[in-house]
Amino acid sequence: MALLEIKNLYKSFGGVKAVQNFNLELDYKQIQGIIGPNGAGKTTIFNAISGVYTADKGSVIFDGKDITTLPQYKIAHAGIGRTFQNIRLFKGLNVIDNVMCAFDPKSKYSIVSGLLPTPRRRVEEKRGKELCEHFLEVVGLKDYRFENPENLAYGLQRKLEIARALTCDPKVLLLDEPAAGLNPTEVVELTELIGSLTERFGFAILLIEHRLELVMAVSQIIHVQNFGETIAVGTPKEVKNNPVVIEAYLGKEE
Amino acid sequence: MELFLSVITQICITIISVAGIYVLTGLTGMFSLGQAAFMAIGAYASAIFVTKMHLPFVVACILAVIVTVFVGFIVGAPTVRLRKDYISLVTLGFGEAITALLNQLTPLTGGASGFSGIPQITTFPIALLSALIVIILVAFFKTSKYGRQCIAVKSDELAAKAMGINVNAVKMTAFLFSVAVTSYSGCLYAFYTTYVDPTLFGWKKSAEWVIMVFSGGVNSLTGSIVGATVLSGLPEVLRFLQGYRQIVYAVLVLLIINFKPNGLFGHWELTIKNITALFSVKKRKGVKDRWHF
Amino acid sequence: MSLQILLNGIALGSVYALIATGFSLIFNILKFSNFSHGALMAFSAFAGYFIATQNGLGLVPTILVAVLVGGLVALFGEFVAFRRITIKNAPSTYFFVSSITLGMLYEGIVTIKAGANFYNYPRFFKHATIKLGELIISTSDAIMFIISACTLLLLAFIIQKTRFGRALRSVSFDRDTAGLMGINVIRTIQITFVVSGMLAGLAGVFLGINYTLYPTMGSLVVKGFVASVIGGLGSLPGAIIGAVLLGLLDSLSVYLVGSGYAPVVTLLVMLVFLLVRPQGIAGSNILEKA
Repeated sequence: MALLEIKNLYKSFGGVKAVQNFNLELDYKQIQGIIGPNGAGKTTIFNAISGVYTADKGSVIFDGKDITTLPQYKIAHAGIGRTFQNIRLFKGLNVIDNVMCAFDPKSKYSIVSGLLPTPRRRVEEKRGKELCEHFLEVVGLKDYRFENPENLAYGLQRKLEIARALTCDPKVLLLDEPAAGLNPTEVVELTELIGSLTERFGFAILLIEHRLELVMAVSQIIHVQNFGETIAVGTPKEVKNNPVVIEAYLGKEE
Repeated sequence: MELFLSVITQICITIISVAGIYVLTGLTGMFSLGQAAFMAIGAYASAIFVTKMHLPFVVACILAVIVTVFVGFIVGAPTVRLRKDYISLVTLGFGEAITALLNQLTPLTGGASGFSGIPQITTFPIALLSALIVIILVAFFKTSKYGRQCIAVKSDELAAKAMGINVNAVKMTAFLFSVAVTSYSGCLYAFYTTYVDPTLFGWKKSAEWVIMVFSGGVNSLTGSIVGATVLSGLPEVLRFLQGYRQIVYAVLVLLIINFKPNGLFGHWELTIKNITALFSVKKRKGVKDRWHF
Repeated sequence: MSLQILLNGIALGSVYALIATGFSLIFNILKFSNFSHGALMAFSAFAGYFIATQNGLGLVPTILVAVLVGGLVALFGEFVAFRRITIKNAPSTYFFVSSITLGMLYEGIVTIKAGANFYNYPRFFKHATIKLGELIISTSDAIMFIISACTLLLLAFIIQKTRFGRALRSVSFDRDTAGLMGINVIRTIQITFVVSGMLAGLAGVFLGINYTLYPTMGSLVVKGFVASVIGGLGSLPGAIIGAVLLGLLDSLSVYLVGSGYAPVVTLLVMLVFLLVRPQGIAGSNILEKA
């Protein structure tokens, strides 16, 4: 039984068939990629997994449990963390507080401690801060922890999203176009970071990306989507040479 | 001096409610046009407990707050999960309903002629102390996990859910805290002015509190308190302008919204770090006053 | 009896429809609930009273003055309260707060002139009521209904068939793209405010006829808000339907539980309605994309 199993996933919006019959099996320490032209339904797959939408048909089974209809926050608790295509950091909070938000749902103090400086609160806040600083260090943002996210460079904001998702203590990490908007040097850095995460923490990563050099470098298996359908699944090498994939990206040879 | 103390006492009572609005609207981004109704429930309930059931003041206040929070729970549970505009609408309707009930249940509440004969128990020290305590509680709330989650929910609900935050629970917590605090301010109010009537607690009052928070700085507790103080005190100071008071008030607030929409204080809070930063010689050339909503 | 309630409800609803439409126009184009709309109604109604009625002029001049004043003051209000924050793309809550303050400004000015007194329009109509068989319709209700209906039809025509109407719909849909396509966004917003203000003027006069004129009659903007939400925020036809339904609901509640408890009934019905169909009658469910 794989860690994450997606079976026959379908999702439509009115007449638009965003995802048709998507299947996947993902295990610990694996990295799999999803690629495809824009509008191919890739983010919809993530949204169906993380609970933003409920699938029309099919199921998402995580760690043995059927999470298809669970609300988002319960899915996050179960161990699925994610980042977003359009960066969604919390305005009004600095960097470390942004990360703390992922720890807070698990923080063990009550409203009484919320209003008064009790010892329990101090203990939990300290525990949280240490955890957050640890993950900020992993992505290289520890020195920026009191900055406002809007003041950070784009690449650093993306790293912050990753640090925040890591604090959810995920078993599966969903990364939605983490390299969008990064320059080539930053992409290399990101590739190294993503590659190191599974080794270091043991979880699985599912990655949506357009930057093929990144996806090919880190993924064991790649799913190629086009118009909602999976047109190819395989290792990076297999996918690169697949004529159907080439046609989808570059068009038919006249 | 008498008048001055009276004004300050009323300001303190208003500050307590506004602190609640800060948590509800400033931190969590929910817009209620019916919070004043909870002040009414607190005021009337405590008045009834003391004058008709002869309970001691402290017990009456505690009971009144509990009753109000219970009502708040019933109203809040279906409401907080609605869209922003709908929350305003439902809370508005709730406020009107409460006003209607207060007007109708004459034997209990005195109806439209109001509830008079409330003993004066609230003194300036009590009001001031209460205001200070509430401000401190809210400050702790803001820096706790509750405050952080509220700000996260206000900023991006979807992302908050994805990080495991139970958005509805967070909203309910903020809502009920605001209800409790507003209700307590109602108790203090009733036992200060010794008379309450249903017209005092309509949507305009709720709107006034929101305006105070926005003028002072919707993201700043300090700003909200200052906003409350200035905008409560102003009508008194401007008493000599009589009929023109409301116009001057409105013009002032419009000026603030036009030229300092983040409020007079923006995000600035009265913390030791910030005060020393003000006086530091090496002034950091920070980013200009951003349009950070 | 029930037919009488129905007629009352429709008459009430036609006035609410004017309020709701003016309210809804602004919601469509700037995405916020304009709480100054009610105070503008009061302002215009009083302007009509002091300028026309007090000088012995009849219904038509009063309406004309109110409509004109409504439009002009709305233009002023847009500039003073909303222009800067529109340009800076502030979230809707800022507009909301600004509109409440603007309403206070209007109300303050009216209070200076009118004090806290109640004023009455003189009797505009020779016969107060019309008898249709067993039914009694008040003349003012009938005239109001006819004028409201005609006005709303005219508005529908403008929105669907004219260049301004197209501009209005474009800006409501996507302000930035509309600007990029060459539409003068600010001008469109200004004209929308003027139209909304004219509707407010008309509604103000009708409310004054139906009830009385008092400086705080602007609180009736709440009816517009409720009607728009029931009808589905963002839909003009929805707002009208919502207004009529609200009129019927108010009329029925007053009959069933008396005007004292009527707000309680309205609240409960609204709550149930929102729980069952939160997008309103004509609104659509917008799913947020991640």
